[in-house]
Amino acid sequence: MLGTLSAAQRRDVQARLTHDAALREAVARWEDRLLPLTNLSEPVEPSRSLWPRILRTLDASQAAARPAAPRAAGLWNSLNFWRSLAAGGLAAVLILGSSLALRPAATPGAPQYVVVLVAPQSQAPGWVVQAQAGQSAVQLVPIAATEVPPDRALEFWTKADGWAGPVSLGLIKPGEPVVIPLDKLPPLEPNQLFELTLEPKTGSPIGKPTGPIQFIGRAVKML
Amino acid sequence: MPNRQTQDFDYDAAIKACAAGHRPALETLYRQEGPRLLGVAQRLLRDRAWAEDIVHDAFVKIWNQAGSFDAARGSGRGWLYSITRNLALNALRDTARETDVDDDTAAALDARHAIDAWQDTRDAFDWRASAGQIGPCLEQLEPVRRNCVLHAYVEGLSHSEIAQRLGAPLGTVKAWIKRSLQALKECLA
Repeated sequence: MLGTLSAAQRRDVQARLTHDAALREAVARWEDRLLPLTNLSEPVEPSRSLWPRILRTLDASQAAARPAAPRAAGLWNSLNFWRSLAAGGLAAVLILGSSLALRPAATPGAPQYVVVLVAPQSQAPGWVVQAQAGQSAVQLVPIAATEVPPDRALEFWTKADGWAGPVSLGLIKPGEPVVIPLDKLPPLEPNQLFELTLEPKTGSPIGKPTGPIQFIGRAVKML
Repeated sequence: MPNRQTQDFDYDAAIKACAAGHRPALETLYRQEGPRLLGVAQRLLRDRAWAEDIVHDAFVKIWNQAGSFDAARGSGRGWLYSITRNLALNALRDTARETDVDDDTAAALDARHAIDAWQDTRDAFDWRASAGQIGPCLEQLEPVRRNCVLHAYVEGLSHSEIAQRLGAPLGTVKAWIKRSLQALKECLA
């Protein structure tokens, strides 16, 4: 609201806002209190191309939504897709599973979750997500090169079965392992969905995925 | 230029029309508030093209999320600024980590900061004319504390940037801002 938080803190608060109605109300009240201060900035006449550009974006996303929506939803819910994905991911899980088995045992009773993120078309595994239940972070590890166009960014999302929509876990640099705190989110669930989508440089403008899915997978409990 | 006075424009109704898929309502909002939103974004980002990108993203978001706007939770106009400022501040914070400066630039900035800090013991903003009903409440704050709030809100400076600028300890700046907001809240109640 005031804008003094760091990037990480802002993301934390924004993730909390989706779950915390009281916080949302408090923030909205503050936004209204401080609104007169926006008058301190002189208005700037937008360039003539800005409105047509907004319209083009809306038209493009509408055109993309119509044919793509059934397909996207179909992909999301299609048993065949998840079957094939399970088969494709299985090899990777087995390899990973055996390497995990060689490690010192995890905290007893705390199941480890693994998600293999595969490309929707080729089923090629690209990233692995590892998480310890009870720990409030996941580790995202690249296992293959990811090509991202220069004007785009990879955004990481998750959605458990009961949630209304995916929640952003932030922008990801291709090819770099990263630990992502989940402390403002509910505990990880079996079958929880993770995906990486292609978004504008500063992330999705609407807080939910807008670009094509690059990698997708669901959390599997490692016993 | 912004068309009508803000009090003569029904922001809530225009947002609801957007939620219903009425594209001209979004254009009305853009004509009404676009220049002011761009002004706010440009003040935060200090870059015209970047600010236009943010206003573009903001209007896409306003269109897509109009259905989630709840007039009971806050004003429609406030909602537009909240979306735009959040996008701008996210962009600002996300890139802030990457902009390290070399020693010469840092020295020049330090000198600049020293002058700014000196000025900040007085009024850094011409806020009296335009602050509206929050004005008398700002008046009650000491200038340096008032400046903290305005640097943060209007210019998008972070706690540590404000501390650096004022030459004050980070904890002090955080405490000043917290108490100033508390005082504003009580004053506006």
